[in-house]
Amino acid sequence: MIMINGVLVSAGKGGVYGEKMLKGHRVWDPYRSKLAALVMLGVDIDLNDQMKVLYLGAANGTTVSHVADYVDSVYAVEFAPRPMQDLIEVARRRKNVIPIMADANQPGIYAPMMEAVDLLYQDVAQSNQVEIALKNLPFLKSGGTLILMLKTRSVDVRKTPEEVFKSSVEELESAGLSVDSVTWLDRYQRDHAAIVCTYGAGGVGGSSKKSAT
Amino acid sequence: MQYYWFGDVDEGRCTVAGGDYTALAERLSSIVTSMETFIPLSVEQACECGFAADAPDYYGHLRKLCINIAEEKIADLYGQGDMELLQMVRMLDDMDNVINLLTERATEWYLIKNPGFSRKYKSMNAKKMLSVIKRERSSSLGRLAGEIDRMVSSRTTLMKEISGRADVILPNCSALVGGLVAARLMSRAGGLEQFSRMPGSTIQVLGAENALFTHIRSGSPSPKHGIIFQHRRVHNAPRPVRGKVSRAVAGKLSIAARLDYFRGELMPEFIEKAQKRIDDVGLTE
Repeated sequence: MIMINGVLVSAGKGGVYGEKMLKGHRVWDPYRSKLAALVMLGVDIDLNDQMKVLYLGAANGTTVSHVADYVDSVYAVEFAPRPMQDLIEVARRRKNVIPIMADANQPGIYAPMMEAVDLLYQDVAQSNQVEIALKNLPFLKSGGTLILMLKTRSVDVRKTPEEVFKSSVEELESAGLSVDSVTWLDRYQRDHAAIVCTYGAGGVGGSSKKSAT
Repeated sequence: MQYYWFGDVDEGRCTVAGGDYTALAERLSSIVTSMETFIPLSVEQACECGFAADAPDYYGHLRKLCINIAEEKIADLYGQGDMELLQMVRMLDDMDNVINLLTERATEWYLIKNPGFSRKYKSMNAKKMLSVIKRERSSSLGRLAGEIDRMVSSRTTLMKEISGRADVILPNCSALVGGLVAARLMSRAGGLEQFSRMPGSTIQVLGAENALFTHIRSGSPSPKHGIIFQHRRVHNAPRPVRGKVSRAVAGKLSIAARLDYFRGELMPEFIEKAQKRIDDVGLTE
């Protein structure tokens, strides 16, 4: 990840959403993007120019545009028409963004367009967030990474964020994912936990270099 | 056999799908994929089959196709007319707020400029007050009051437009409770489709969410009506039967919403029966 004087940036053409520029790089604001918040909180996230990414809950394409600066290509899935209008505009200018208007709950709909990806990134405000992530696992390469931005308030407002988080981690682990790190984004976003997992490291034939400690 | 957007692959051999983006989109929507047997596609293979010259070419085609499909879906969704009606209703509500706020402020300003003035004993509503303030010629206050007045008249125009459009988009609901109330309900539901999926009990308390959740949390009396109260048969009903009338109206509205969504045309027989039922409920003590 590119840091200039402690500020997270990405290399690309600016002016997507009025972001600041720093020495020709686009400033990636942790208050606007949960992925940036995760990186700023010291979690080592690998984004490189060989990677394919499936991004669920692409919204207006703000974070997508930064991810696209780092990686080879991004499959950006969004369901709602209003943010999709913005996402299409981002895809028109960024040749490595593929905007898919579909429901992440029904991966079968966009499966015929999918190749295997190295990173599955999910940021959706649904009550069945974990289920959605698991449904989309067939797209993830063995040894690939899942980053789940868990919006605890969307899962169940009656439970405390900790309860929601605990049962979510259990669900992920029983599906063969090993949880590498958990970070509460409290400094930047309230009641959000970022869960980073490795797929298949538990023994389904993937690499085990990042297994949980 | 795996079916992909660019063609079918069977044990290494592939058949490339032909045609333009419209044909590819049609093909894509006809493919049914089961996630249990799904194998991710390989871009290399798509290129070897001759679908694309190289990877950039492949992604170029895929991107173009996805943009086309998304644009068409958005146009379809917005083309139903309910989304625009929804924005018009919200604009109307915002205009009401702004007009009230500005009128209040202008009144306070006017009172300072005219120390001897009072609204008491003059039965002076906001509209009359505004016309009084407008007489403050050659001052910025008078000019601003004129602007507020103009906004009031565009608000009236917008309201008529909403009614007219609701008659087209929500013919059955509009026939039951009038275009404006029908449009307000649909807008609160978040769209015609969402509205048509709501049960009568939800429609009855749409717009009374605060009272409803207070009721669920602390057991205060449940709300009898939300937006539906704005309909004359509900607010004119005698108190003892108001809840009953509200429930009958909501029940018939939920059927009407489904007719509006799935058929999209006025059903006179249904309306006649429903009106009678609602009127009957109002009569029984």
